[in-house]
Amino acid sequence: MIEVKDVSKRFKEIAAVQHVSFRVEAGEVYGLLGENGAGKTTTMRMMATVLTPTEGDIEISGFSVRQQPLEVRRRIGILFGGDVGLYSRLTARENIAYFGRLYGLEQARLEERIHSLSRMLEMDDFIDRRVGAFSRGMKQKVAIARTLVHDPDVILLDEPTTGLDVTAATIFRRMVRKLQEEGKTILFSSHNMGEINKLCKRVALMHKGKLRFAGGLDTLREQFGTEDLDDIFMAVVEGSEG
Amino acid sequence: MGSHVVWTVLKKELMDLFRDRKAWMGTLLVPLLVIPFVFFLLGTSYSNVEKEAREYIPLAVQGSSSLITSLQKNPAVQILEPANPEQALQAGHLRAILTIPAGFDEEIAAGKTAKLSVAYDSTNQKSVYARTLIEQTVEAYSKDVVAKRLNQAGLSEQTIQPIVSTFQNAASEERKSGGMLAGIIPLMLVVSLASAGMAAANDLVAGEKERGTLESLLTAPIAAQHILTAKLLAVMTMSSMGAVASLISVTLAMRLGPMGTEGDHFTLAFFSPVTLLVLIVTILLLAALFAGLELVLSTVAKSFKEGQTYMSAVLFLAMVPSYMLMPVSPVDIPTHYYVMPVFNGVALSKEVFYGKVDPMHALLGIGSLLIYVVFTIFLASRIFRREGAGLKH
Repeated sequence: MIEVKDVSKRFKEIAAVQHVSFRVEAGEVYGLLGENGAGKTTTMRMMATVLTPTEGDIEISGFSVRQQPLEVRRRIGILFGGDVGLYSRLTARENIAYFGRLYGLEQARLEERIHSLSRMLEMDDFIDRRVGAFSRGMKQKVAIARTLVHDPDVILLDEPTTGLDVTAATIFRRMVRKLQEEGKTILFSSHNMGEINKLCKRVALMHKGKLRFAGGLDTLREQFGTEDLDDIFMAVVEGSEG
Repeated sequence: MGSHVVWTVLKKELMDLFRDRKAWMGTLLVPLLVIPFVFFLLGTSYSNVEKEAREYIPLAVQGSSSLITSLQKNPAVQILEPANPEQALQAGHLRAILTIPAGFDEEIAAGKTAKLSVAYDSTNQKSVYARTLIEQTVEAYSKDVVAKRLNQAGLSEQTIQPIVSTFQNAASEERKSGGMLAGIIPLMLVVSLASAGMAAANDLVAGEKERGTLESLLTAPIAAQHILTAKLLAVMTMSSMGAVASLISVTLAMRLGPMGTEGDHFTLAFFSPVTLLVLIVTILLLAALFAGLELVLSTVAKSFKEGQTYMSAVLFLAMVPSYMLMPVSPVDIPTHYYVMPVFNGVALSKEVFYGKVDPMHALLGIGSLLIYVVFTIFLASRIFRREGAGLKH
């Protein structure tokens, strides 16, 4: 479970996130929607304890990011889009094992996790090759495996399909659904309404650091009388500015 | 748990660095191959010039004197008669022109002082060598003339030479070898310590920040100071390896190369257990100091490229004290240099290679280095743990 409680983040004069609150239930895939610069990544970074909220707090599985950052980190796995944050001179296996060890996994458990993730993500053919020469899709698979190696309860996916081709993005969505079936709590951020629509029933919509809507996609459709989510998004944004 | 994290990160950093061809080539291959090559090239060039200067000494003589006969006793001396001697000297075809005025020998025979004029080119090492040969010949010739004059006056040579000095070199073979090394090795050592860790430090923070790996690392349930400790140890390892490679290559180049100690017996006996210990501690503390500074700059840098620019400051910090103390004998280094950052390391390593470390200097040098290291690591830790320090944007 993720609970964002009236969170704000300022960088000197810039208010990146302002009084944002929403709640993601355990086992839910929740969408965090907004255009570039809306404050999604800053919110995700506060959840990952890389940034500290200026005001408010976030609870992950009952632990406060302010008070218990190490407990929070033990329970989350975060995947960034774009730069997937892998060591290009290490093999896929070494990348995954490195993070597994940092999460305190015993050797036998680590090997078992790498084996099962490699099968799940179809990485057996390239798991012992260096990451530097991988395609974008292959790198993304390794990054997902690294994110999941310690079997976290809460998974934060920050624009995870950025740069992926249609096939890789589809495989990725299948994997998200599979993780949901396993009972994982997933926060999926994107600027693509269509992508969110394929995975989530509830969303938080951010614009210029503020929360413009938090609730079910059905509610949004009913409220605006259209099925076109891009139109809905624009209407919410323009309404908040008007 | 802390030491497990440090070891895990350190192992990964070293594996990553050693797979980076540029990193280990810069750290090991440059000192191990380039330094001996430069020494060999310089040595060969110097010894060739010296050999040529000794084997063929073309001179022009205007006038005549029996002094020329004395000069010609050296088989390398050739008296040439070019059309334009000044031009030949400028062109390097002549090494010197001796102008002997008329009545030169007669003046000497009459007990007077005769004037000899020698033109040479101070910018040409071979011409300078010819000038030295002429000076030595004139001195020996003058000595003969003086001896004859004294004899004619019924006096012995002792009349004008009341004191005869003999000089004995008190420096042991060890100190002579170390003395040579005390000039150049501290420079190579300190510059290597600073430069060998630069690429690693820049890659491990600014580079990781740029590639997004540091942010992923900071979301793991580990303390930032453990990550920093591992990175510091990795940079120190690269620095120390670079320094040791430099030490080995310079020592071998001095021992085996053409600039080596011809005639002198080269030995490393100036190393005693105490001086060796002082050297190891100095190397480790300097490596920690430079690694700390490089990590501070790498953390502050917004990109890998910006980090590279900042790193030149560290090289400057290493080079200034090294060059300033290079010509100074270890016994002449003022005490306050032993408490100044980097100067203290250079001064201590000079003493080590001189074969005698003053306990007070060792105490001051190592103590002050320790304080600078603690301060630098504290600063690095503060900056590294600052919110957002590991983020790309």
